[in-house]
Amino acid sequence: MRVSSKDSVVSFQNVWKRYGEVIAASNLNLDVQSGEFLSFLGPSGCGKTTTLRMIAGFDQPSEGDVILKGKRVNGVPAFKRPVNMVFQHYALFPHLNVADNVAYGLKQRSPRPPSKEIESRVSESLELVQLAGYQNRRIWEMSGGQQQRVALARALINKPEVLLLDEPLAALDRKLRREMQIELQNLQRNVGITFILVTHDQEEALSMSDRVCIMREGEIIQVGSPRELYDNPLNRYIADFIGKSNFFDGVVQKSSANDLEIRLNNGAQIVAANSRQHNTYASAAPVTISIRPEQLMLSRRVSQLPDEKAIVINAAVRNRIFLGEHTEYLLYNEQFGEFLALSPRQNEIGEPPFEVNEDIHISWNQEATLVLNHD
Amino acid sequence: MKSSLVHRLLLLPATMWLLVMLVLPLLVVIIFSFGDRGPAGGYVPGFSLDQYANLPARFTAFKNTMILAPAGTLAALLIAYPLAYYLAVKANPNIKTVLLVMIIVPFWTSILIRTYAWIYILGGQGIPKMLEFFGVEGVRLINTPYSVLIGIIYGYLPLMVFPIYVSLEKLDKRLLEASQDLGASPIRTFRNVTLPLSIPGIATGCMLVFILLMGEFLIPALLGGGKVFFIGNALVDLFLQSRNWAYGSAVATTLVIVMLLTVSIYMKLMMRGSNIREEVSLL
Amino acid sequence: MSKDNQSITKKQFMKELWRFKNGSISRRQFLGVTGLGVATSVLAGAMPALIPRKAWSASDIGDRVVLATWPNYHDPANFEKFTEVTGAHVQVNVFGSNEEMLAKLQAGGSGWDVFVPTNYTITTYVGEDLIEPLELSKIPNYAAEAFDPRFSDAGSVDGTVYAVPKNWGTTGYVVNNKHTDGRKLTSWKDFWDISMNEFTGRTMVHDYQLTTIGNALKYFGYSFNSVDPAELADAEKLLLEVKPHLFAINSDYQPPLRNGDAWMSMCWTGDGKQLNTDIPEMEYVLGVEGGEIWSDYFAVPRGAEHPDAGYALIDFMLDPAVNAKEVLAHGYPVADSRTNDLLPKELLEDPILYPAQELLDALEFGAAATLTDPNRAELLARFKAA
Repeated sequence: MRVSSKDSVVSFQNVWKRYGEVIAASNLNLDVQSGEFLSFLGPSGCGKTTTLRMIAGFDQPSEGDVILKGKRVNGVPAFKRPVNMVFQHYALFPHLNVADNVAYGLKQRSPRPPSKEIESRVSESLELVQLAGYQNRRIWEMSGGQQQRVALARALINKPEVLLLDEPLAALDRKLRREMQIELQNLQRNVGITFILVTHDQEEALSMSDRVCIMREGEIIQVGSPRELYDNPLNRYIADFIGKSNFFDGVVQKSSANDLEIRLNNGAQIVAANSRQHNTYASAAPVTISIRPEQLMLSRRVSQLPDEKAIVINAAVRNRIFLGEHTEYLLYNEQFGEFLALSPRQNEIGEPPFEVNEDIHISWNQEATLVLNHD
Repeated sequence: MKSSLVHRLLLLPATMWLLVMLVLPLLVVIIFSFGDRGPAGGYVPGFSLDQYANLPARFTAFKNTMILAPAGTLAALLIAYPLAYYLAVKANPNIKTVLLVMIIVPFWTSILIRTYAWIYILGGQGIPKMLEFFGVEGVRLINTPYSVLIGIIYGYLPLMVFPIYVSLEKLDKRLLEASQDLGASPIRTFRNVTLPLSIPGIATGCMLVFILLMGEFLIPALLGGGKVFFIGNALVDLFLQSRNWAYGSAVATTLVIVMLLTVSIYMKLMMRGSNIREEVSLL
Repeated sequence: MSKDNQSITKKQFMKELWRFKNGSISRRQFLGVTGLGVATSVLAGAMPALIPRKAWSASDIGDRVVLATWPNYHDPANFEKFTEVTGAHVQVNVFGSNEEMLAKLQAGGSGWDVFVPTNYTITTYVGEDLIEPLELSKIPNYAAEAFDPRFSDAGSVDGTVYAVPKNWGTTGYVVNNKHTDGRKLTSWKDFWDISMNEFTGRTMVHDYQLTTIGNALKYFGYSFNSVDPAELADAEKLLLEVKPHLFAINSDYQPPLRNGDAWMSMCWTGDGKQLNTDIPEMEYVLGVEGGEIWSDYFAVPRGAEHPDAGYALIDFMLDPAVNAKEVLAHGYPVADSRTNDLLPKELLEDPILYPAQELLDALEFGAAATLTDPNRAELLARFKAA
């Protein structure tokens, strides 16, 4: 989805956040489109939570502007912003029952809606999160997953412009987390509200989001759809963070519009497709090449591998892990070192699986070779 | 079977303690309350309700206690709450430590000596003198209900501050953010979230202070000049001056009954007023 | 000099400190629970210099003696001297009324070795078996013939000596003449009337049935010792009427009189003398209607833990040289002619210590009946609780 920036519901313009000497956010520029599901992804301390809190109004930028629905909201306190948050441990009010928790936001409005309306909207919200009939339950009687849903209902009942979710699934066990991911996605499609999620879990971010914004040390490094990030990571950091990959360092020897000649530090000389035409590399520029494990082709015989624009090397099978639809191989080549390869099951139909210690051949296409800056 | 024996053995010391230190003395007091005063004082066995019939003679002392104990509790609460709130929510760790120490340190000195100091502070050469300096003439504090109230607040403030502080300290600060996020102003957040969640601390503090105030005699004696008379003072007088043990026992028994009634009504109200799972920690 | 509008001086502070040490700050009101010993020992612990050194020639009387006595009634230097001589440290418990002493002894476990009862209480102590007959051989300084029998008679009951005289005195009132507009107060009627008018909020009465009720009875011209219900009813009416006008009901009246909070108080001889010496406007008045004359005694309670130390202390205090120093410190007269021989002439002619004969003639010794009379006890309690 590409929408013009005047439709953006949240916009960061040169935003900085400093805590004394510490820079928590540096020069953030970002437009969040109305109706999209955007995730901030990064390790802890990368500034993603600070960014979220600046949208919510708990933190104010030190510099730059935060724009909400076209209005600059710097200095506007949280309780005056049309956004709602689902907190990491839900932060449900323990002294209120489910209905009163959910109705909390409506009751703060002035004028306060009539109680009939509050009641019907509470049950609507609870239905939305599949907790119909739980109105009178106490919070401590609910399971973690149910509490999560109450927190969602409590936020969504206010029909916020943006729903902020701060590591909402971190406290759930793996199976439940998976279910909730799907549910959240469905929910977002149903209500049409912009969701902004903060997570350190790349799988979570990739599986749910329309766009992912990757942060590191207070900076936004790359924003894009999960596919863009996976196929076209800006640098080694992102390629490493999003999915698994095989990395080899080297220097550019010759660059043209279509191809890059690279000499790897291990001595090998390879040609890679220059996927970013607008990127020109100076001679001797240090780069890293990345080959995704599923892009590697494995064979016992060289003749079975495609030879056009392909690189072929020998390797010994070091380890094999059966993963159901895939088999993961750990391979070793004298010159390159270790490779991780992911072989889909159908590839094995013609050939029995490779055995540990077996010598085989690996090949990859020039097009599959990503050339990356160091960071 | 075996475990129930173990349980009984575990409870034995506490049971004995309660029996010897609480139940027996209470029984003695109840028995004495039906007896008579000896010719030179003390106790003569008997069975009559005469001592109870004479209770109205201490009505004023009961009245003073029933006014000043709740007033003192309320005043201590009103001063303690903002202090506890500041300590638990606002203060930075260094200031917090300093303040907590400042609240605790006076406890290292006898209440007697501290209260005696207040005789000078509230006496003619103390605060009234300072007020004169600011043009306020003729203020009398010492030996009035106000001086007693000030002494009570001073003496009991820490007992009120700490339970409230603890309940506010363990309050999840994210709840306050959640409330604001849902559109509640800081004031409404305080009313809707902070206050209800600190009720266990308030209840504990009020109970502690109130129960102890019902039996207080030192502060009214020292700062009330013998004119502001609590039921505790009446008891001290009956046992240590007029040596009327029977009547003293009747007054003491009545005090215990009044206290139990007040506290149970208070507990009921507290429980109804708050839907909090945590029990009031005192009971 | 008047201390009315001065802040506390160094000297005053030290004096207060001594009062602390003597325990005179802690009053009967909280005795039952806190106990005077607590206050003294807390202070002694806080100030190591106040803990007496053990004498080199420690005798076998033990290291302490516990004395129950009245406020401002001793020269602390004499206690130090006693400790120096005998090695026994004097622990002082101070009381505001004889009722309080009696209650403590009746309750048992007082821990006292020596106490100072007033004349009218001794028969009750004997009757209740709370007092030991004295072994006079252990008090060589006591010479019966040296004492004025008016003030030593009450120490013997049925020919047995239970107590030896300490001091005698009168109960009048002290008034700060600075506030009377030149008016001279002379009677108990004046005392009660001015309390309810010009002196409202400035008068103190004792927390003590004998004197407070007795002097209220004098307002009506009744006997100081009356136990007549009708007369007591009149006294109660007066007391209840006065109560809202009082500054305090407290037998420790010196501090508020000195700092100016109180202008007038019922007062014993020695306090009157002490106050008058420091603040000449403070006048000691004996009511023309009469009032109390009294004599205090040293006695040993039943079950004293350190009786030898107790006897040693009594004997030490009756040494005329020591006793004379006591009188100079506290301002109460003694009945012992040997001691009087050592005292300066001005003191022996002092009108506070030795009032004019016509005033003395109107005074009454307290009667034993007042101590045990339930109506007087309850009257005072009602007055305080009102």
